[in-house]
Amino acid sequence: MSTPKKILVYVDGTEPSITAAQYAICLASFYRADLIALYVVNTKAMEDLLKARIFLQDEQMEYEHDMEADAQRYLNYVNEMALKKGVTIVPQSRRGSVHKEIVDLINEEEVDLLVIGELARIRSRRDEFYDETERAMRMAPCSVLIAKDEDKVWQMYESLV
Amino acid sequence: MAFIDLVQEKIVRIPLVSTDKAGVLRELVQILKDAGEIEDYDAVFTAIREREEKLSTGLESGIAVPHGKSAAVSKLKLALGIAPQGIDFASIDGQPSRLFFMLVAPPNQSGPHVEALAEIVKLVQSKAFCRALTGARDAREVVELIRGE
Repeated sequence: MSTPKKILVYVDGTEPSITAAQYAICLASFYRADLIALYVVNTKAMEDLLKARIFLQDEQMEYEHDMEADAQRYLNYVNEMALKKGVTIVPQSRRGSVHKEIVDLINEEEVDLLVIGELARIRSRRDEFYDETERAMRMAPCSVLIAKDEDKVWQMYESLV
Repeated sequence: MAFIDLVQEKIVRIPLVSTDKAGVLRELVQILKDAGEIEDYDAVFTAIREREEKLSTGLESGIAVPHGKSAAVSKLKLALGIAPQGIDFASIDGQPSRLFFMLVAPPNQSGPHVEALAEIVKLVQSKAFCRALTGARDAREVVELIRGE
């Protein structure tokens, strides 16, 4: 069985996504795989809010600017976590629809493993509800690993030399 | 945090007792205060009121989504108020608003804020669902309807 050569971790700033990043750093170290960290500025959602007239034009721009700053901050944070363990990360910030950007990057970079954080704890059965990470999980053309149990993952990350 | 995770009985009030827009905004912020979700009432109210002064967040079909950013919260907060009788909220279509989804986010968490707002937009596209929410008996039923239980 071949081991993963290129791993992608999706980071959105939530605690589960930080746990996913720790897990991905461990895997990249174990397998000596390349690691990409992706943050997507969800401009699709902002366009929808502008169309629905929930956002004003200047409000949309303000949020977009804030989210660009969030992207840099979280990618820097993940990069620092990786460097502490001697792992190099290629940070990528993209704009658009989250699940589509994840799938596009997997295809472009020939990623063979996607690592994501635990999905929302409470799920609605209503069709209207879905989250972008779950859509990415379903649509990803490669294997997907969902990192769970932040304490165990933290221990694994901490024990990494 | 997904929108669905924010929905709990303690942040739902049905029916709202207010009869005008200013009262609704105050009552929604008070819901968060009463639920122990915020401490600084004035800071949150100011953030919501200032956004509302730019342009009403009263949409079509009886929906209103007041929102704002405030350093008084450390994570995204939701209050949900229902006024079956309808309240003049200066909405786009001029019709009374019945469902009020108020979101307050810290300034450094725009991503979850945007995604929660987008989920609300999707949720209220179903007129039948909005009618069911407006006709709910109590907060528990509202939560069950939203979770699809």
